[in-house]
Amino acid sequence: MTNVNKNPAFSFRRCALLVRNRLYDEAGSVGIGAAVMVGLNLLGLILSRRAWLNESGSDQAWSFAVILGGLLLASQAFKGMHDGKAGSEWLLLPASPLEKYAAAAADYLVIYPLVASAGAALASLLLSLLERALGGAGGTVWTPVLAGGFRAWGEYAIAATILMAGSASFRKAPLIKTAGVVTVYVLAMSLLAFIGVLIFFNKNAEASDSVIRVEGLAINFERKLSEGAVKAETTLLDIARYGLAPLFALLYGYFRVFEKEARDEVQ
Amino acid sequence: MIAFQSMSFRYGKRPLFEGLDLDLEPGSIFGLLGLNGAGKTSFLKLAAGALRPQGGEISVFGRNPSERSAEGLADIYFVPEDPWLPPITSSAWIERYASFRPAFDKARFEKLLDELALEDDKVLTKYSYGQRKKFALAAALSSGAHALLLDEPTNGLDIPSKAQLRRILAESADPSRVVVVSTHQVRDLENIIDPVIIVHGGKVLFRLSSEELGERLFTRHLSSLEGQAIVYAERDALGWSALLAKPSAPGSVEGEETGPADLELVFDAAIAAPERLEAALRGAGDALEAYRPEEHEIAKEASK
Repeated sequence: MTNVNKNPAFSFRRCALLVRNRLYDEAGSVGIGAAVMVGLNLLGLILSRRAWLNESGSDQAWSFAVILGGLLLASQAFKGMHDGKAGSEWLLLPASPLEKYAAAAADYLVIYPLVASAGAALASLLLSLLERALGGAGGTVWTPVLAGGFRAWGEYAIAATILMAGSASFRKAPLIKTAGVVTVYVLAMSLLAFIGVLIFFNKNAEASDSVIRVEGLAINFERKLSEGAVKAETTLLDIARYGLAPLFALLYGYFRVFEKEARDEVQ
Repeated sequence: MIAFQSMSFRYGKRPLFEGLDLDLEPGSIFGLLGLNGAGKTSFLKLAAGALRPQGGEISVFGRNPSERSAEGLADIYFVPEDPWLPPITSSAWIERYASFRPAFDKARFEKLLDELALEDDKVLTKYSYGQRKKFALAAALSSGAHALLLDEPTNGLDIPSKAQLRRILAESADPSRVVVVSTHQVRDLENIIDPVIIVHGGKVLFRLSSEELGERLFTRHLSSLEGQAIVYAERDALGWSALLAKPSAPGSVEGEETGPADLELVFDAAIAAPERLEAALRGAGDALEAYRPEEHEIAKEASK
C-alpha cells in the first residue's frame, strides 16, 4: 500500500493519490464514451466498409467527443463534495482543499486531454488501418492537431476551469447552471458594450473615423485603427480570454472548495 | 488526549453544549451515554472536526480538529451511525482511501474483515446496513488513528457480531489511543466501556469509572422498596430492579443479588434521580431519603 508523507501544507503524493482516485472513478464513463465512438465506426465498417467518423467532414466528431467528454467530467468535478453522506467522506478525507482542487485541475486540464486525445488518435488510426485492410481509402486519421492543437486545448481549458468553478458552486445541475451564469454574464457584458457604443461612438465619433451602422437588430461598429493598435487590442483580448478568465475561474473555484471545507459541517 | 475547553455549540438558536469542559485521556474506551437528542453524535462530530464549535476550544492530540488539516484528519477516525461506502470492493477501498492514512494496518484490516465474515470481493454498496457498519468499524480499528469516535457501533449488528465487536474493541485498547463510543444500548458494551460519560441538558452530568461504580453502587432485585438505600428503581416482572448505594457499614441487604451496578440503571438514575446518584457516589447513600418511584420517572425526563 502507498502511504503519504507528512507535508503539512501540500503533499504531491496525496495530490497524486487524489488524481488516481479521480481517474478510477471516471474510467467507467470515459470507457462508455470511447466504446460508443469506436462502436459507431465499427458499425460503419460493417455496413459500408468505411469508418464514418474518419471521413472528411466527420473527423471533427473525434474533437467534439474528446472536448465534450472533458467538459462533462469537469462539470461534475466536485459533485461528491455536495452529496450528503459522500460529502462527509470528502470533508473528512485526510487531504487539504488545495490538494483536492489541484487534483481536479490536473485531471481535467492536463491528464484527461492528453489521455483522451491519445486514445482517440489511436482509435482513429486503428480504424483507418482496418478500413484499408477492408479495401477502403482509410479516411483521415484524427490527431489533436486536426482539432486545432494548442489553441483548441486553450479554448477547452478555459471552459473546463469555468465548469469546475461551477461544479464547486452548484450542488444540483452544475452544467446547466454554469451555462446559465455564463450566458447571463455574456449578455450583460454585451449590453454594457452596446450602451458604451451608443454613448461613446455617437455621431461625433464619425469625425474620428468611427462609424455605427444599425441594420435591424445587428449593430456593426467599424473603426480604422493602426496595425499596432489592432495587435495591442488582440493581445489584450487574448490575455483577458486565455489568462484572466481561467485564472479567475480557477481561483474562484478553489475558494469555493476551501470555503466548503472551512464552513460546511457534516450532517 | 481529546480536550474540550469551555466549548459551546448550538444548532441555530438552540444551545446544545454551553461551556463544556472535558478531558478524555488515552488508554481508555469512553462510553458516551445520553438520551435521544442529548448531543452524543454532535459531541463525536465536534471531536472529529465535522462540526465546528461556536465558542471555546477542542484539541485532539494537540491539533484543532476544526482546521481539518490532513495530518489531523488522518489521526482521527469517525464512524457515523450509518456509514457511507463507495461502490467499490474492499481491496479497491484500501487502495483508494486507506492510502491517505499513514498508519493504516492493512494486515489487521484484512484479518478483521475475515473475522467479521465480510466478503472482500463484494461491492461495498451491496453490503447490508450491519455489514457496512462492520466494514467501517474494521477500517476504524485498523486506521492507526489515535482518536476513534464510534457512533452507536452496535446498532444494526446481530448478536454474534456484537460479541465480536466487544472482543475486537477490547483488543484495540491502546495506551496511546482514545476510543469514544456513543451508545444508547448500554448493555451491548457495558463490560468494555470505562469510564462512562453521561451527557444531559448540554453538559456532562456524570463521569463514572467502573471502579467508582463498583465501590459505591450495586444492583438487586427487590420485592419491596421499603428500608433500603435505593438510588433508583424500575418496576419489572419480578418486582423491582433497583440500584442501591453500598452501605457504609457491613450489613444484610434484602433481595436477590444481581451483581455490580447495572449501567442501564446507572444511566437512568443519572437522568431521573441525579441528586440521589450524586449522594451515593460521594458515600452518602445511608442518608438517602425513602425512594418514591413516582418522583423519578425516566420516561418523563426523556419526554421533556
